[in-house]
Amino acid sequence: MWKNSLLVLCALTVGTLSLDDNDGGARLLVSKQILNRYIVEDMDLIVKYTLYNVGTSPAVNVELNDNSFNKEVFNVVGGYLNIKIPRIPPATNVTHTVVLKPIQVGFYNFTAAEIKYQKSDDAAETQEGISSEPGEGYIVAFRDYDKKFSPHLLDWCAFAIMTFPSLAIPFFLWWSSKSKYDSFSKPKKSKDN
Amino acid sequence: MNPLAVLIALVSLATGGLCAACPNPEVESKTYTTEDGTVITNVAYVAQFSLKCSNGAKEIPLYAEVGGKTYPVVLYGRDHYQVSWAEELKSSGSGTYTVNLFDEEGYGLIRKAMRNNEDISSIKPLHTISVRHPGTYQGPWLNSEFLAVILSLIVWYSAFSTKSKLLL
Repeated sequence: MWKNSLLVLCALTVGTLSLDDNDGGARLLVSKQILNRYIVEDMDLIVKYTLYNVGTSPAVNVELNDNSFNKEVFNVVGGYLNIKIPRIPPATNVTHTVVLKPIQVGFYNFTAAEIKYQKSDDAAETQEGISSEPGEGYIVAFRDYDKKFSPHLLDWCAFAIMTFPSLAIPFFLWWSSKSKYDSFSKPKKSKDN
Repeated sequence: MNPLAVLIALVSLATGGLCAACPNPEVESKTYTTEDGTVITNVAYVAQFSLKCSNGAKEIPLYAEVGGKTYPVVLYGRDHYQVSWAEELKSSGSGTYTVNLFDEEGYGLIRKAMRNNEDISSIKPLHTISVRHPGTYQGPWLNSEFLAVILSLIVWYSAFSTKSKLLL
């Protein structure tokens, strides 16, 4: 459902850009998705670009540039943000994935990536377009995320240690008196026999 | 015609065809996979590599085949390349993924073999890269609060049973 709405969005953005020339050729729809449930500081953020050629001829020299990730907020840990795809045949999907790590906390507006391509092998002019926008997201501080989702093993260990005396002290008191009475009762039994 | 000459001609044709795009490829690769699956919905596999050919060829259109699926290789700069794909958390497993790189000719052969349901392992790739994925951590196997409840129940039960034994 979400994917469909994204595609419609891209269709709108790219479609409006190329309304003036309906001469066929390649037409690319580009979606930019963030494959995260939460965006957490210092944890992976996956960005997936899907390029789909809805045109009739292959898109040539496709350049995808995403300058929307501020270097002060994100570190790229895997993949490249400025790429070139030599050729995208018609009715073909191409996906590209980049992994980033946010290093700052706060709201961040995830904007669109830019795309440039030629509509066919002999096209002189380049077609420009933009991808869909994932929109604004909040980068959660790792401490807050950890507070909510970590197994809290240390906290539970502390709880166990704190409850231990209140359980163990009465138990040992009872145990010592019990063993004392047991030692009294046992010799009696041997005398009876 | 001399059969040996024919054989030599055939072999040189075949090897020449394979290595036409990039003879003696020198590949330096770096891979990244997402190992912590607690905040993500898909597992990303990224393989980056630089390719140097002895004939100085650059910006070669390459294709990759991973587990029976083909992906186009994207270019960064003139001799850096990237293959990446994302898989659903449930369907992704740990292990080593072999990325077979092909030039356009090899890609054509692969597509043809796939169409005809033939074995694609016989087609020699330009180079292979292995992407090791140690598995994705999807949270603890047992919740700590659950463990704490079980432990407290055990303590309570042992105390209660001892007490009821004493009062009998």
